[in-house]
Amino acid sequence: MASTVMATKPIALAKASPSLSPRKISIRAQAKPSSTSIPNLKRLTSKLLFSVPSIAMLAATPLPALAEMEKAGLFDFNLTLPIIAIEFLLLMVALDKLYFSPLGAFMDARDAKIRAELSEVKDTSAEVKELEEKAVAVMRAARAEIAAALSKMKKEMTAELEVKLAEEQARIELELAAALNNLEKEKEEALRVLDAQIDALSEEIVRKVLPTT
Amino acid sequence: MDVISSSIKTYNIWFEISGVEVGQHLYWQIGGLQIHAQVLITSWVVIAILLVSVIIAVRNPQTIPTDGQNLFEYILEFIRDLSKTQIGDEYGPWIPFIGTMFLFIFVSNWSGALLPWKIIELPHGELAAPTNDINTTVALALLTSVAYFYAGLSKKGLSYFEIYIKPTPILLPINILEDFTKPLSLSFRLFGNILADELVVVVLVSLVPLVIPIPVMLLGLFTSGIQALIFATLAAAYIGESMEGHH
Repeated sequence: MASTVMATKPIALAKASPSLSPRKISIRAQAKPSSTSIPNLKRLTSKLLFSVPSIAMLAATPLPALAEMEKAGLFDFNLTLPIIAIEFLLLMVALDKLYFSPLGAFMDARDAKIRAELSEVKDTSAEVKELEEKAVAVMRAARAEIAAALSKMKKEMTAELEVKLAEEQARIELELAAALNNLEKEKEEALRVLDAQIDALSEEIVRKVLPTT
Repeated sequence: MDVISSSIKTYNIWFEISGVEVGQHLYWQIGGLQIHAQVLITSWVVIAILLVSVIIAVRNPQTIPTDGQNLFEYILEFIRDLSKTQIGDEYGPWIPFIGTMFLFIFVSNWSGALLPWKIIELPHGELAAPTNDINTTVALALLTSVAYFYAGLSKKGLSYFEIYIKPTPILLPINILEDFTKPLSLSFRLFGNILADELVVVVLVSLVPLVIPIPVMLLGLFTSGIQALIFATLAAAYIGESMEGHH
């Protein structure tokens, strides 16, 4: 492929053009006397005859150019290969010193710092939890105290109330008993009075009913 | 004669507008050996770009990174992740190699596609991505070969060669062949991709020079980036494979 590419290379022709022109001139020089002295048909054939070697020479001119460039083409291995290899190794060392190592170390240090800070934060959150629990315990104790005080007060109050109640009840019962006694007495009185009256009345009734004798 | 001379002239004019110069190199001589100078020049430019951008971005590392530092931190994390996935736990010493491989190929390919190299006219040949030359890609592939041999030998000593008969001794010729096909495939994959992409873009530009080649150029950017990734990943995979412990 490389050789065919080379064969159709314009540059080959361009390179060959300086060498072509003397040949061109020589062909013309040859053609001129023939065109003046020979009739048309012979002129044509002679032109053709001269054109064939010129084409052959054109085709032949790439070859010396090829020989000049020492068969240049796509697969041309030379000193470039080791030079590029050495350049690559030097570039590798330079990039390592300037970029991979310093930036890598910086990134790793930053990661370690962030991780340390994160773990610190996790510790303080444990402290916060402790404090929270303490607060909850204190709240619970306070509430328990309050409840106890409340119930104590309630008991005292109910005891007082019951005492008062019992007093009042006793008073009322006394009064009731006294009232009942009074009522009994009055009843007896009334009954006695009524008895007396009943006696009187019954005598009257008997006097009125029985004939007077 | 006149017909022939005139056709040569038109051919030359066409060449001046849109030349496809495949296989044309600028030659320098050192001693008796030749160098493809255009590859060297563009590789120096790539190395300069890499070193300057790295120095500028990583100068004063901040805890909260600036944009440039953030980009390079991302690249370093990407390379670390790539190496760790392929090589395993002992990936630390190999980061410079894999990272430089990835960055060099990536910046080379993209510089070939993005930078206006045609402005600088060379007496012979033209400037393009340094990875479009077989010498560069074979150099990188051979370095990868040396690297994975070095990795295996330094970790296991001479018992590294037991790998060749590992599953069954019948596979010995295939394993030996692999040692040749690995660098061959690495180099040709990269070389073919980059050179072919350049050729396609140049031919399209010579045919339809306005907006039409742009999707092909974008595709070229994408595939050249992928090729850098593939080269680096395969290099890391070969190193990891040769460092693999006892099962």
